[in-house]
Amino acid sequence: MVVYAGGNLGVALSSLFLNPIELAGGSQQIFVRFVLFYTMGMGVGLALKAGLWNIGAQGQLLIGMVMVFVVYVFLAFLPWPVLYVAMILGAALGGLLWIAVPTILRVKFGANEIVVTILLNVVAINFAFFMLSGPIKSAGTALGFPHSAELPAKFQIPSIVSSVPITYAVPATIAMGIILYLVVERTPFRVKANTVGESHETAKYAGISIPRVMTVTMLTAGALAGLAGATYLMGYRYELDIGSFSTNYGLVAIICALVGRKHMLGIGIASFFFAYMTIGAESMALSANVTTYVEFAMEGIMMFGILLGNYLTERKYAV
Amino acid sequence: MTVALSDVFIGVFSTTLQLSPFYLFAGMGEIVSEQSGVANMGLEGIMLMSLMTTFVVDYMTGNPWVALLAAIGVAGVIGAFFAFTAIRLRVNQIAAGLAIYLIGLGLSFVIINVVYPSGLTPNYIPLPSLITNWNTGPRALGIIFLKQNVMAYVSLVLVVVTAFFLTRTSLGLRVRAVGENPKAADNMGVNVNKVRFLATLFAALTFGVAGFYFAGNFVPGFQTDVIAGRGFIVLAMIYFANWKPYRVLFAALSFNIVYAAQSEYVSLSGFGVASFSTLFNMLPYVFLLALIPVFGRKARTPKFLLKPYKKG
Repeated sequence: MVVYAGGNLGVALSSLFLNPIELAGGSQQIFVRFVLFYTMGMGVGLALKAGLWNIGAQGQLLIGMVMVFVVYVFLAFLPWPVLYVAMILGAALGGLLWIAVPTILRVKFGANEIVVTILLNVVAINFAFFMLSGPIKSAGTALGFPHSAELPAKFQIPSIVSSVPITYAVPATIAMGIILYLVVERTPFRVKANTVGESHETAKYAGISIPRVMTVTMLTAGALAGLAGATYLMGYRYELDIGSFSTNYGLVAIICALVGRKHMLGIGIASFFFAYMTIGAESMALSANVTTYVEFAMEGIMMFGILLGNYLTERKYAV
Repeated sequence: MTVALSDVFIGVFSTTLQLSPFYLFAGMGEIVSEQSGVANMGLEGIMLMSLMTTFVVDYMTGNPWVALLAAIGVAGVIGAFFAFTAIRLRVNQIAAGLAIYLIGLGLSFVIINVVYPSGLTPNYIPLPSLITNWNTGPRALGIIFLKQNVMAYVSLVLVVVTAFFLTRTSLGLRVRAVGENPKAADNMGVNVNKVRFLATLFAALTFGVAGFYFAGNFVPGFQTDVIAGRGFIVLAMIYFANWKPYRVLFAALSFNIVYAAQSEYVSLSGFGVASFSTLFNMLPYVFLLALIPVFGRKARTPKFLLKPYKKG
């Protein structure tokens, strides 16, 4: 594929595996994506435990990003530390509200959450675009594509060490992963969620409140995806534009959740792997002069590779 | 400038009839596939690939019919690969579908960049209108019905054929049987995975036609992610339609009437609402969403949808 796209295979392959670190800003981007994939992946995985597919992480992520700026613009009168926290919480709240729609439809009306979350992804893009071209547009946008204002340094998530661009979002995410691991995997909640995911009949028989488990897992998933939007904007991108829409991080997060077998720590490992590989694919695209959209194709092919690997190992150990 | 109300209506209905076939082609395929128990979430990836193929082949040969064949061919190859992984290897269908989507999204752009490094894709040579001189005779009739190309009417026929196929033919009944109760179907001597494979392949072919139809009717040239989620909307339409072909027709028409009405409104009002136009763009999707509590309640998913079947 790389060769046909007009690139040099040797350069491409070496950069796929080595360049992520050597590339300027490569290690930073690996961690940016690790945070994104892990935060969203945990949400997706949590909902999956209860048998619910959150295909809409991408939409919730977008709403989270929009909410960061909505809070920043409309609650600007708040003092600095309060506003800072409000921006992060606002993003989580945005994701939560966005997933509340499929949750309500699922719990109250029995509507398929896959369909609704997919629909809401499309709505989210249009909504984000509307917000960007109106309420949160930067005054500096005269012509061309609208973009938001750039967050000033005091509203950015700072780096741990000033020379290394790895922000506090990374340890915070890992800490959150461990907390969720303790809360989800080490308590009866895991059994509850899994029972709901396996069979509603059994769950009913066991006296588990199905709507409650569904609501809790779904809303958490949405809040986490919204939170991911805050870390992405405040820790890396600082400004919202159309380029932030045309990503597929939400989809990759689903794969991370599946590859990590819905386990809160497993998803972390899968997320790091995918972060490393997608940056590798991107730097490969840059160094071998193939277009960056190779990245999407590479992600898809990697997913197939892993799915097939899963198949082979499962067949080997299956009865 | 005042615009005659009749012109607005003609515009809305004409656009509706022009856009709906895309959803109908893909919808019919996905219905058959899902009835057999396999959901292809990668439909938009397949569509992007065949859309790209359509533009390239159409320009090279100058013949849209050859482009149609090529688009179907490409879709068939990807569909067969998806079917193999989802049915034979029993890979998780949603994950495999999303992988197909990502591959289609990336690969279609890479290929178009290789073929046209300048970044400009040539304009599409469309299929001719049903009747070339549609402008004669009653104007409304001409613009709404005769201006469309023949594929628009093929899609309507496909709805009837699919409805007939699923309820009245033995193969159609087998398709539904393997989606409802593969074990029982197997006991009755139906080759479950073969039927599923055929249904999934048929779906992929219709995605190819949908991708082909997208060219010219939706966009004049190729861009990344140009289908922009419309493929995924098909999944929602099928759900509201409760896996019934005629109801997909209803869903597609009503969705596109709302879509056409909002775009007509935006284009007529000009700059006054231009900044709100994206808000209006949301309308058809929100409309579809609002239908869920109404129609989605009674939706009954095929029992073994998403569940691979293993003999024995």
